Amino acid sequence: MDTGLASELGTGMGVDLWAALIAAAIGTYLMRALPLVWMRRHLLRRSTKNTLEAMPTWLSVLGPLMIAAMFGVSLVPSKLSLASGLATVFGVLVTMVVWEKTRSLGWPVLAGVAVYGVVIFLASFLV
Amino acid sequence: MNLQAETSNNRPWLMGVRESIPLLGGYIPVAISFGLIAVQSGFSSWEAVAISVLIYAGASQFLFVAMVASGAPLWFVVVMTLLINARHVIYGPNLVPWLTGSRWWPWLMHGLTDQIFALAHTRLPQLAPDERVGWFFGSSLLAWFSWIGGTALGAVAGKELTQQWPLFAEVMPFALPALFLVLLAPRFTSRLWSLALGSTVVVALVFSLNGMTNAAIPVAAIAGAVVFFGLGALK
Repeated sequence: MDTGLASELGTGMGVDLWAALIAAAIGTYLMRALPLVWMRRHLLRRSTKNTLEAMPTWLSVLGPLMIAAMFGVSLVPSKLSLASGLATVFGVLVTMVVWEKTRSLGWPVLAGVAVYGVVIFLASFLV
Repeated sequence: MNLQAETSNNRPWLMGVRESIPLLGGYIPVAISFGLIAVQSGFSSWEAVAISVLIYAGASQFLFVAMVASGAPLWFVVVMTLLINARHVIYGPNLVPWLTGSRWWPWLMHGLTDQIFALAHTRLPQLAPDERVGWFFGSSLLAWFSWIGGTALGAVAGKELTQQWPLFAEVMPFALPALFLVLLAPRFTSRLWSLALGSTVVVALVFSLNGMTNAAIPVAAIAGAVVFFGLGALK
């Protein structure tokens, strides 16, 4: 991916790129912190503890859907081929099976990556 | 993960560190692949680490690096980076019922990732109020440091790793869909949710396969919401 702006980066990020990075960082932080501050004040004003009902429904629905969308996007391998397609299918299946068994976050990811790697590795001998 | 409620014999921050250890299996492989991809895209190792320190949000960091490398306008890079993180706005309010009066909470929200939210949402209600800030501090700090450390490893050793094991760079990014899948799996709680989530995944996949990766996430999420509310209204 050594194109255009990327090759300029070889000499270090310019001021404008640092500004973009800091803007993205501050924006990300504010999106994490401000809704919490707002909800705390909202509850104090209302003197209620029923936070979940006070949340707009569309907001709580959109959260999981965003993760589902990111999952769909990330499923597409960088190199599209039969091997990467098969590796994706097996990787997803194994991740699901290990998640069913362990209900943890770490092991299913490790197992999924390992199986994905094994399929790609085996395919490299066949092609 | 054993998430049984514990008594307060341990220091809360240490308890948080211990309980977030399972997250490392998901964080470090993704962070290594991020460091590697950032360097391959023309960023230096320090710049890759700076992105992980400051933005600290997986998918949007990949997007940031990829868009910059492709020469996209910087304002558009920032907008897309924020858009992809928009889901984070729902996490903070959902934790509010278990927050104490500490002034630290807003500052600790830099560490509010998908995984930390999932862990905190389960664990905070089980802890005594005076343990919660310490617990969150310990767990989120370990996760943040593992992300930074993984990025540094990927950035510094990336070239050697790809030279010695050319398949490494091809395989490691699979940690990202695997991680999203694990976050997503517990949310298939009903037929309505399954249909909404399933259609979101399919729309995102189709858009991405057709090269419309940037539009895929918001469009797919909106499509899923239409399915959710549309089918919900029919009931």
